[in-house]
Amino acid sequence: MEAKPTACDDTRIARFLRRELTDEEERLFELHLDTCETCSEKLDRSTAGPADWHEAAELLRDEPIDLEPLSVVLSDADSGEVARHVVDDSVRRVLELLHPTDDPQMLGRIAGYEVVGVIGSGGNGVVLKAHDSALNRYVAIKMLAPHLASSGAARGRFAREAVAAAAVMHENVIAIHGVQEHGGLPFLVMPYVRGTSLQKRIDQKGTLALLEILRIGMQAAAGLAAAHAQGLVHRDIKPANILLAGGVERVTITDFGLARAVDDASMTRSGIIAGTPQFMSPEQARGEAVDHRSDLFSLGSVLYAMCTGHPPFRADSSYGVLQRICQSTPRPIRQSNPDLPTWFCRLVDRLHQKDPQKRFQSAAEVADLLARCVAHVQQPLAQPLPNELCEKHGGVPVPHRRAWAVALVGGLAVAATSAVLWLGQGSQSDQSPRPDTSTPPAAANDDVRWNDDVDRLLRELNESVEELDKDTQQLFEEP
Amino acid sequence: MRVFLVGEEETVHEFPDTRNSLLLKLRDKGDCESWQQFVAVYRPVVYRMARRRGMQDADAQDLAQAVLVAVAESVDRWEADPRRARFRTWLSRVAKNAIIDAFRRRRPDAAIGGTTEVARLQQQPEPDDAELDREHRREVFRWAARQVRWEFAEETWLAFWLTAVEGRHVKEVAGQLGKSAGAVYIARSRVMRRLQEKIVELEE
Ligand SMILES: [Zn+2]
Repeated sequence: MEAKPTACDDTRIARFLRRELTDEEERLFELHLDTCETCSEKLDRSTAGPADWHEAAELLRDEPIDLEPLSVVLSDADSGEVARHVVDDSVRRVLELLHPTDDPQMLGRIAGYEVVGVIGSGGNGVVLKAHDSALNRYVAIKMLAPHLASSGAARGRFAREAVAAAAVMHENVIAIHGVQEHGGLPFLVMPYVRGTSLQKRIDQKGTLALLEILRIGMQAAAGLAAAHAQGLVHRDIKPANILLAGGVERVTITDFGLARAVDDASMTRSGIIAGTPQFMSPEQARGEAVDHRSDLFSLGSVLYAMCTGHPPFRADSSYGVLQRICQSTPRPIRQSNPDLPTWFCRLVDRLHQKDPQKRFQSAAEVADLLARCVAHVQQPLAQPLPNELCEKHGGVPVPHRRAWAVALVGGLAVAATSAVLWLGQGSQSDQSPRPDTSTPPAAANDDVRWNDDVDRLLRELNESVEELDKDTQQLFEEP
Repeated sequence: MRVFLVGEEETVHEFPDTRNSLLLKLRDKGDCESWQQFVAVYRPVVYRMARRRGMQDADAQDLAQAVLVAVAESVDRWEADPRRARFRTWLSRVAKNAIIDAFRRRRPDAAIGGTTEVARLQQQPEPDDAELDREHRREVFRWAARQVRWEFAEETWLAFWLTAVEGRHVKEVAGQLGKSAGAVYIARSRVMRRLQEKIVELEE
């Protein structure tokens, strides 16, 4: 659709400034400005006097921290491609805010802490390692990203949520020593935990073994339960916010409610989602109110990521991810990782229900269930698989038929168990080790592998039993 | 532990002592808003002036807080009276006095120590009307910019920022953004217009 060039028109400029142009008129006006320098200059002058433009530049250019655009544009002259890169210079800005220190080993001072280094930075903030000289301990200082701190509401929320998070005392939730402010930026003081995030662990070593997944999941669920008991919803459960110390022995949830509290604020203002939405719940993705069950969905996504090495909902854009979270079912775990038992996939599916009502209803319940799963995997014979995870039969239960089926399956299970014992011992030396680079400590090595082998065999048998079960059901259903 | 909450929702809660009288006085929604804008603009004004005089971050924060508390306390003395100044105008007059007072009182206090900070403080002239006006104007502008910034798409803000603030050429920016020059002119005009409206809103 080629538009005819329009003539110069001063009233059109005035009408534009009064916001009176229709969309079509504005399109033509834009086309006109493209080629007419006279009107472009007139528009500038009618918008504001030269002194006003000058003042705007001068007042905004100085200390632009909270006003600068969030992105830079890089265009490729050859391909004509335009790419936008979000500037992550939060670190630079935060470091500029530090006070000079007498100690040349340190980066600077912030409210009585000597800053040793930068631990990391994300969309929401920058984490510094600092030394608390009064108490002679290292702390982690998390500062709100300067561009987010421009909103008083976001700052206030950050501080409020931090105070709430500080009230949660649990070994699987990061402690918060205090909330302070420096140069207009609020920051949190937390213990300095040596360890690696679950995200890094997945990036470096890929999928985790079942027992590791269960142990991490169990502790994360326990931490969530403690927070939920205080009425606090995390809202940003993802592998990057789960710290692992001492392998999987000690799991700590970080960033309680803080990151997302800020994201929500910036999202409602700009419609832009900061950070990755990949672990959001459907209700979060739709921008609806969330309760503790939203965290359970995200926990499901974390378990999924540990099983497959990637998040369950993936797309090229944030918007695409959000759509998938709301609408699609993730690819079955066993397609990427056939080593995992069906019962475990069932647990993840329950957490991944779009309707919060259909998920497990509390983190405590999930923690307890995962603890029983750990027990089962460690001692499959002594500890039965939790009932909730056994396959349920559809349709209306018919007592005598069910009794029959149970007896039949039970009998098979006994036979299966003997087979497992036999196979498990006989095949142990033939089995090549799992292609898992995370070798458990030497002493536990054999146990773990034995359990893994038994587990796999049990799984296979379980599947045959399930198939048999289906067959028997069909038999029953025949008139 | 120092927790400062500043902003749209929190302003009233940060002065526990004067909260009741403030709330009582600020029953009028317009006044409440004026107060919030006042805090948003004056806290950085005082903070910046204090820092320029060599004060440490914490001291500058304290001074800003002290000025705000002093003004909040004198809200009691304000009477809504159509013949007298509007609340907003009245606030800025009280603030001016409170700021000059605060800086003046600080000098002899600090002189006892004899540290480098004091020396620097003494070298700095007392704040005068001109400096106050300049700082105030700057904060008003920045406050307005923070307010309107999120009304625009990032691209629009970017077009404004790169051309009007960083002084880059419209054609060059248009090429970078993959937009027409006309679109850049329109974008920056819109932002500038809105900025000015917001400033008028604050100062009217
Ligand atoms: Zn023209």
